[in-house]
Amino acid sequence: MVVFGFSGPEGLDAPVKATVDKFQLLPAFLKVRGLVKQHIDSFNYLVNCEIKKIIHAKANEKVTSDVDPNFYLKYLDIFVGEPCVEQDYLVEKITPQQCRLRDMTYSAPISVDVEYTRGKEIVTRKGKPGQGALVIGRMPVMLRSSRCVLTGKNEAELAEYGECPLDPGGYFVVKGTEKVILIQEQLSKNRIIIDADSSGNISASVTSSTHERKSKTNIIVKHERIFLRLNTFTDDVPIVAVLKAMGMESDQEIVQIVGRDPKFAGILAPSMQECASLNIYTQQQALEYLGTKVKVGRETWGRAPKSKVDEARDILLNVFLAHINAHHYNFRPKCVYVGLMLRRMLEAMINPESVDDKDYVGNKRLELAGQLLALLFEDLFKRMNGELKRTVDVTLSKQNRSTQFDVAKIIRPDTITTGLEHAISSGNWTVKRFRMDRKGVTQVVSRLSFIAALGHMTRIQSQFEKTRKVSGPRALQPSQWGMLCPCDTPEGEACGLTKNLALMTHVTTDDEEAPLIALCTNLGVEDVSLLSGEELHSSKTFIVFFNGTLLGVHRRPHHFAEVLRKLRRAGKIGEFVSVFVNSKQHCIYIASDGGRVCRPLVIADRGTSRVKEHHMKELKDGFRTFDDFLREGLVEYLDVNEENNALIALYEREATTATTHIEIEPFTILGVCAGLIPYPHHNQSPRNTYQCAMGKQAMGNIAYNQLCRMDSLLYLLVYPQRPLLTTKSIELVGYDKLGAGQNATVAVMSYSGYDIEDAIVMNKSSLDRGFGRCIVLKKFSTVIKKYQNRTSDRILAPRIFVLNPLSRSQLLDQDGIAAVGERISDKDVYVNKESPKNVRENVLNPMAMPDSAYKPTPQRYKGALGESCVVDKVLLTTNDEQQFVIKCLIRHTRRPEVGDKFSSRHGQKGVCGTIIQQEDFPFSERGICPDLIMNPHGFPSRMTVGKMIELLGGKAGVASGKFHYGSAFGEPSGHADTVESISSTLVRHGFSYNGKDLLYSGITGCPLQAYIFMGPVYYQKLKHMVLDKMHARAQGPRVVLTRQPTEGRSREGGLRLGEMERDCLIAYGASMMILERLMISSDQFQVQVCTKCGLLGYYNHKLKMSFCSFCKTGEGMATMKLPYACKLLFQELQSMNIVPRLTLAEA
Amino acid sequence: MGGGTDQTGDGAGTAGLIPEPVPLEPVTYTCGDCGTDNSLKPGDVIQCRECGYRILYKKRTRRIVQYEAR
Repeated sequence: MVVFGFSGPEGLDAPVKATVDKFQLLPAFLKVRGLVKQHIDSFNYLVNCEIKKIIHAKANEKVTSDVDPNFYLKYLDIFVGEPCVEQDYLVEKITPQQCRLRDMTYSAPISVDVEYTRGKEIVTRKGKPGQGALVIGRMPVMLRSSRCVLTGKNEAELAEYGECPLDPGGYFVVKGTEKVILIQEQLSKNRIIIDADSSGNISASVTSSTHERKSKTNIIVKHERIFLRLNTFTDDVPIVAVLKAMGMESDQEIVQIVGRDPKFAGILAPSMQECASLNIYTQQQALEYLGTKVKVGRETWGRAPKSKVDEARDILLNVFLAHINAHHYNFRPKCVYVGLMLRRMLEAMINPESVDDKDYVGNKRLELAGQLLALLFEDLFKRMNGELKRTVDVTLSKQNRSTQFDVAKIIRPDTITTGLEHAISSGNWTVKRFRMDRKGVTQVVSRLSFIAALGHMTRIQSQFEKTRKVSGPRALQPSQWGMLCPCDTPEGEACGLTKNLALMTHVTTDDEEAPLIALCTNLGVEDVSLLSGEELHSSKTFIVFFNGTLLGVHRRPHHFAEVLRKLRRAGKIGEFVSVFVNSKQHCIYIASDGGRVCRPLVIADRGTSRVKEHHMKELKDGFRTFDDFLREGLVEYLDVNEENNALIALYEREATTATTHIEIEPFTILGVCAGLIPYPHHNQSPRNTYQCAMGKQAMGNIAYNQLCRMDSLLYLLVYPQRPLLTTKSIELVGYDKLGAGQNATVAVMSYSGYDIEDAIVMNKSSLDRGFGRCIVLKKFSTVIKKYQNRTSDRILAPRIFVLNPLSRSQLLDQDGIAAVGERISDKDVYVNKESPKNVRENVLNPMAMPDSAYKPTPQRYKGALGESCVVDKVLLTTNDEQQFVIKCLIRHTRRPEVGDKFSSRHGQKGVCGTIIQQEDFPFSERGICPDLIMNPHGFPSRMTVGKMIELLGGKAGVASGKFHYGSAFGEPSGHADTVESISSTLVRHGFSYNGKDLLYSGITGCPLQAYIFMGPVYYQKLKHMVLDKMHARAQGPRVVLTRQPTEGRSREGGLRLGEMERDCLIAYGASMMILERLMISSDQFQVQVCTKCGLLGYYNHKLKMSFCSFCKTGEGMATMKLPYACKLLFQELQSMNIVPRLTLAEA
Repeated sequence: MGGGTDQTGDGAGTAGLIPEPVPLEPVTYTCGDCGTDNSLKPGDVIQCRECGYRILYKKRTRRIVQYEAR
């Protein structure tokens, strides 16, 4: 391995070109791993390994019966097949695109091999190779995972399947909608976290998580004594008592296991005393004491009640630090672990700096789709087995069966199928076993733009509550470097809690533990069970932790770590195993668990990179892939903890002899969304954050198959362009192929006064030429339902052929469905559907019912008034439940208008303020006329220097005919052009070095007083358009109940004069105005009031007089006006036995 | 009814004004996979007769349509 490292002469013969351009590694990395590899890897791990582990787990493997002790059903193997669907008893393969169009689930059958008893014989049922004998359910398949039909297909084959080759995959198609399971961030499981609360009290907590159980163990300090807090105990219990209950009776041993240091003993003394004052000296006494603290009512049903002592012992065995195995009641490992926890606590009390940082990324684990699905699947599998057992018990308890009982025939696949499907489509993750009840785990993939979809795949959701006002979890963490994007986070509520992965981040999956543990022992780790407390805490040895459990100690920690790392680089152990030597804590942490974030780095030996020029050449020539670099030990993955043991140089030339690693490319610290920004390192940081949010709203191309998709809402740009000023990330991600914006020539100047507050002035001719023109596609779908009484909806040809211009069914064809290519406007019928009036009771002849048995339920298009759209596409198909589905895609082409929102790539959004004829626009000597004019006031406070450089670079790019680059931090490595080089290009092409031009006024024809900064800037049209938002009303619909105007644009609602506005009117004294707004123009109502009783009467139209039904007289009735809501209130109060009476006086 | 506000739509289209013979030709559908034409009767299974594909698209209308250029 080291052979590559020590090549002294190479540094001498090429002193000028010492650094190797390692950029090519990045595309190679993305080619192998892809942008959403973490999702796909985790799903692959689930279907290939974890699912097998689940069924082979002790608790799941066998289904037995309480009735017949001889009966059993044993799962031998499990397989997840290929996505397919059974229709008319035929199994067909399905593609994701078919599922999208047909509202189906892209899922594959889960099949098992079983062995079970049938009567007296044992039956083994095995399927074909790679396939089980019995289907137990269906698993939704992640796109581009190992089970997906799309994996390993080339561009042409993908096109055949109707799929976009640039689509990243990593999501599911459930009932026709694309769903991502967001990455969930949480605190590491099975690790000791030392925390200090607001008052400075130190506590240690461990969240134990095993396959069977999840528990949280807290050790806290109260009045200088140390207690254990466990939610199965009613009260906090002294930790010394717990140790004694686990068999560590001698106080000396307890002190030793914590550490003999006198400063520790001093802090421990009060806890020891507490225990003695409780009269606890022996294990029995301790257990008896703990028995009194056990919560009652746990697991009392079924078995014989246990004694208190047994219950306490069981809690210590199963709940307390559940991840530490205590075989045969051997509590020794737990005692040692508690000792370590105490030691860490005591250290933190003495030195507050050693408190753990909960926000440190190394203490976090990311939970991905595979893990979440595994939790759910195991739960459903258990439930299915439970149901199976119950049916078996019921059937076997019956005597005299005519046929032999065969369990294989009663296995129902519905539990698992619907369970998984429902969880993914609703996003509610409920696993009762772990008391897990999460909402919003999945989201519909945002298809507003290509980047939005991509950004959605890298999103990380935090488990923290949003309402908490602590800034810690929201703040940017230094350990995020290179792992999570520092820019891409939403503003507002979820700020800093929702994060995004950086470009090169990988999230690990679980790795096999047993071989690693064996390896550690071989490499000289001394087992804990052989050590006393004294030896454990000896200053010469380091404690070795493996995935949070204590393995033992090692005498030569650095050598040990070195050997492990060499083994990893040689590919002998998994590439994602991390070794972290913590010299402060005298510990070595080895981790092979899933959910750690890590990233690749180039290995350096004493500052010289292992990657040489010839390696890169071989990569370029295609002799090498990224995996070869990994296998040969040139590149390795480091997780956040191991980064602490590395000294990473940003550039090779900056490396010193102490350097152990070199970054591949600095711009990979950014994520996909931030990667679109040119020169982000010249911008003020929040601007980049704003752009990350806005890039997802930009209209453009969605995918290559965008016109074959039937999304419920799709925004497309008519003439999208690729940015003139690109970045390397743009090319890596594919944004240059599926851009979302246009290169607009921008003049930075003031014009017309319609450009204040970030408004932009647009050139009318540019709009005519197609700038910012977009297409809005809306889907309207109808299901021709079949009802339980075997009746069904029907579609009819339009019955009236009267050529009535007001007829709303003109665009229908003979089949009763809108014709493709026809114009459609608001309230037009697109499917002439009729539904049976009776859908409950049985009907004589459901197929031939008379017309009178149907009621018309025409499907009407709802769109903007006065706008006419076009029926773009009509699709007919059947869905999962064999129901006839009609989907109509309706297209609306829009040109920009005043009020539409635009943005550059620097968080500089603005609305179109006015549209002005090109004749009136300024122009340059060369005849260049800007597409839009931006007010210069947008610059000083925003400090988006990147936009200025983009303008310069774009101008130079146009002049010289090549794309310029503006990658983040790219100037030193040549991935971004410097302003100097751009300026010289400009000068070469006859422009001013500073990008300013002499412009002539379009109105007067005179030269403008100042030189104008003008050039192309990539502008995005955002999805917010006035047409979808503008709303006004004079009269309109009212709510039936209160007779007040409706609320909201969609209901053509009124504009509310709210409480604050009312306050203004009161303060001003405009009483008649209040009366008018709040009653006359709202819900005025005339009532008859009885002056005697004060109750409301009525007007008798026959007698033409008012009448009070309480006083039974028409005398003394008064007529008055009040809000209908007021009358309603009176009546509602009356219905509750409260009588409001009106007392009238002369006004 | 938004009849009054919809004047632009009706004014621009000629279809509403000139009496047009009722198009009685049967509607055909194109298969999403192989592209063959299919005709459907009410109650038929939505499936291509040639290849068995279950997604059908309506063909573009043969009526004369007038659009607004924008």
